[in-house]
Amino acid sequence: MIRKEINKISEVGKALISVEGNPGVALNHVVELLEADSGQSLSFAKAINISENSTRFQVFNGTAGLSTRTKIRMHEIPLTAGFSTKMLGRSFDGSGAVADGGPDVIFEKQVSTRLDTLNPTVRNVPKQPLWTGIPMIDVFNTLVKSQKIPIFAGPTEPYNRLLSQIAQGAQADVIIFAGIGLKFDEYQYFKEQLSQSGNIDKTIMFTHLAGDSQIKGLMLPDVALSVAREFGDQGKDVLVLLTDMTNWSNILRNVANYQDMIPSLQGYPGSLYSELAKRYEVAADIEGAGSITIIGATTLESLEDPVPDNTGYITEGQFFLENGKLKLARSLSRLKQGVNGKTRSDHRAIMTAMASLLADAEKAYEASEVGAANDAYSQKLLRYRTDFISNIEEPFGEPIGLEAALDKCWSILKRHFDPTETGLSKKLIEEYWDKN
Amino acid sequence: MKDINKKRTGNLISIQDSLVKARFFDDVIMGETAEIFVDGKYLQAEVLQIQPDPKNPDAGIVEMQVFEDLTGAKIGDEVVFKGTPLSVLLGPGLLTSVWDGLQNPLYKLSEEDAYLRPGMNAPALDEEVLWDFTPSVKVGDTVSGGDVIGNVPEGKVDHKILVPFSFGTCTVESIVEKCSVNITQQVAVVVDQLGNKHELKLAFRQPVKSPIPFKNRAIPSKPISTGTRVIDLLAPVGYGGTVGNPGPFGAGKTVLQHSLCKYAVADIIVMAACGERAGEAVEVFKEFAELEDPTTGESLMNRMCIFGNTSSMPVAAREASVFIALTVGEYYRYQGRKVVMLADSTSRWAQALRERSGRQGDIPGPEAFPMDIPDQIKGMYQRAGEDLGTGGSLTFIGTVSPAGGNFQEPVTQATMDATGGFWGLSQDRADAKKYPAIDPLVYTTSVYDGFISWNDRKKMLSTLNDANDIDQTISTIGLKKVPVSNYIQFQKGLTIDFCVMQQDAFDKVDACTRPERLAVLNEAVQSLIDNDIAFEAGEMDDEQLKESIKQKFDELRQWWRDWNYSATTEDQLAQLPKAINKFILQEEYAV
Repeated sequence: MIRKEINKISEVGKALISVEGNPGVALNHVVELLEADSGQSLSFAKAINISENSTRFQVFNGTAGLSTRTKIRMHEIPLTAGFSTKMLGRSFDGSGAVADGGPDVIFEKQVSTRLDTLNPTVRNVPKQPLWTGIPMIDVFNTLVKSQKIPIFAGPTEPYNRLLSQIAQGAQADVIIFAGIGLKFDEYQYFKEQLSQSGNIDKTIMFTHLAGDSQIKGLMLPDVALSVAREFGDQGKDVLVLLTDMTNWSNILRNVANYQDMIPSLQGYPGSLYSELAKRYEVAADIEGAGSITIIGATTLESLEDPVPDNTGYITEGQFFLENGKLKLARSLSRLKQGVNGKTRSDHRAIMTAMASLLADAEKAYEASEVGAANDAYSQKLLRYRTDFISNIEEPFGEPIGLEAALDKCWSILKRHFDPTETGLSKKLIEEYWDKN
Repeated sequence: MKDINKKRTGNLISIQDSLVKARFFDDVIMGETAEIFVDGKYLQAEVLQIQPDPKNPDAGIVEMQVFEDLTGAKIGDEVVFKGTPLSVLLGPGLLTSVWDGLQNPLYKLSEEDAYLRPGMNAPALDEEVLWDFTPSVKVGDTVSGGDVIGNVPEGKVDHKILVPFSFGTCTVESIVEKCSVNITQQVAVVVDQLGNKHELKLAFRQPVKSPIPFKNRAIPSKPISTGTRVIDLLAPVGYGGTVGNPGPFGAGKTVLQHSLCKYAVADIIVMAACGERAGEAVEVFKEFAELEDPTTGESLMNRMCIFGNTSSMPVAAREASVFIALTVGEYYRYQGRKVVMLADSTSRWAQALRERSGRQGDIPGPEAFPMDIPDQIKGMYQRAGEDLGTGGSLTFIGTVSPAGGNFQEPVTQATMDATGGFWGLSQDRADAKKYPAIDPLVYTTSVYDGFISWNDRKKMLSTLNDANDIDQTISTIGLKKVPVSNYIQFQKGLTIDFCVMQQDAFDKVDACTRPERLAVLNEAVQSLIDNDIAFEAGEMDDEQLKESIKQKFDELRQWWRDWNYSATTEDQLAQLPKAINKFILQEEYAV
């Protein structure tokens, strides 16, 4: 097939190029950029705005080195990602090209990266817990298969360590790691952790390092999620780790800025919510097929920043990491109600009681800072708070099962309170108080 | 007169995300719908603006928003103008349906593909179902838009078949006998005053951006039993009222919406899941089918219809989904039904307008929202109301998702201005897992006569206020310096908050409180507020006395919460006021 070529680039900017007029290229279709004299392939690009006056492309490998003489070859197909089960154990870049120096992968098929919405009627209502061995998650904010949930954390928090700990214990058939704007040591850390836990053979890594081309970072989640979705459609339970979606959003902001889009809050485009939602909504428990669970990392300075704020409205809760602890007050699993009523009879009640006591304890703690928590009950609460932080909010340590974690909760309550102070029903007190 | 059968077309000259421009040579009507032929598929679009063509004085340029993904669209692709504005199909079969934002039936589409592909569509209402039609007009009768020509039973709902609202005065030329028909078959022919004949069927299309008229509009006053105590006691909403329900994420908007769907006493619930999580809409249509309607005892889905334009679906259809849902609500109101419409979330709707105006290059207002967003929000809520003429009402409860949880942002502010009621969800209460997290101190309502008297409401509120103030005093100067009498008032407020304002949406008994039970609770609360409690200091100093008071209240709260979870019979209900009276006298009350 002879492919049509365009010979004149009129504008080269950061990550974007334009040509004058309309060469007949369709929206979101792929073109290839070729060195004018040698015909050597320089990069692929995607048509994003087209009009009869000009056509604009996002260049995957960045625009450095391109000139007005660079040739554009049209491919007349939308962007796709290669798919093969041979991808397991391997590393790829944001466009789906092999990035571990290993041999090429022969793809079985090409899958669309358009991330069409799953018809809601073929979604199962999520009902299967995904145990992690971390009491703060299993007891208080149970993770559920097909959930989409981010870890909110300051930039210096060990969020990648937590992600990797969850990934190692999680019961998934396939793990898709999608890293955007990673530092090299973070990439290496994940790789080593996954190798050590023996999970590397069921993992595919898609990695974009800080400093790599922005467009490749921008497209990485779509490529990774399309591959994840194909595994899901084939009946596999897939766990996707997206880190860090703040980096991704910042690339989105940069590119929107290059495109002269009107910014809404803090320079982010007005479409930030829809763009994040499009990716996170890939998470699903599909009727008659597999499931896709997404755990993201969202670094933040403040919860009110547009990225965590929009993310919170999209995802089914969040895990909040602060000072290395998973904080109860700010963490939430929206799907937990679908599973925690079918575990042990005390599960929900103890979760509510401990949370409510902790909220009182936080108030007592604030009061204590101005010397106003001298009464006996406040002192009780303060001791409880310390115990809770070091024994329940600590996510790193030996994994324990749900029953053991619940027993641990009872023994903490018993250490500090009288039964009536817990707000727990008489029935539960009779059943569990003296056992622990 | 324009020949409406003439095909009017244009060709694309610019494509940017969901916004396109096309050149046309015929006429184009503002707001009309169009189809764009892309890659062998027709994509739905709506005209936003008409401009002159700088390149060609004989042509014009039309700007359109496209409701589907445009991948593969090229310059020159054909646009066909449809001549009709965005509309909804109204008729029997609306109830129990689940559609996307453009009224495509999702179950039907899933037979074709598990994913929603651009260009997919299917008839909005099932065309095969037969309905038992009983005519109520005869040949020669005069009818006009909105008049009833017959009825069909739609489940338990008596569904009236109406003359389309756009019709003027007509004469009935023919009408079928009592029979079984589907929505594509003719049931009557009417002749307008110009002598033109019109075929009537069970269903007709109605434009969605202009409201269906009221017959005799009234100010909403009769409260709806929502089953949620803090609402029904303090901030009731009336049939036909409007409420804005803002809250930061995680504050419990969704749980509250679901609770309203399940327990609000209404004939019909229309839900617009607008730009929110797909999973939540799925929970409603898959799980609610198993639940019982509080008034009829049938499946809850029998009184519901759902528009699920979820967050990953095309943004342009989000705006449409809310108007389409509203029009369905108005249609049932016109039939005399009490309709509650839930829109979750109006912020996503406003954001869709923001995305569009940004692409159109409009000069942005605050936080880049379109300058006229407050007017658009007001216009939307104004479509709710009570109609004494039909006996129906349309109540509109919209959630708001304020950026950063900040109620000062433009959409929350405009909503507060537009609605009669305001249920603000508080981050602090949510963090303390005090659900529902509606702050009992921050709300508004336009319903004066609720389920309890205004005076009782005021007393309840002032006790909660006192408790809040004393709580702050305790946090600043310490419990020691707070007088015993104040501490008792604090404990009373805490008890009302814990046992009445807070409610467990996941407990069978506690999840829903009806007016009879509210009355019992109110009786208990009022006597707790009105009476001094006979605490004996004895040998105790103040410090010890407070400790003992706290313990007594702790026991009472535990007992009361157990009652919340378990009391159902008349005898069991009567135990609460008895127990409170004994508690006031400091006698044994546990049963």
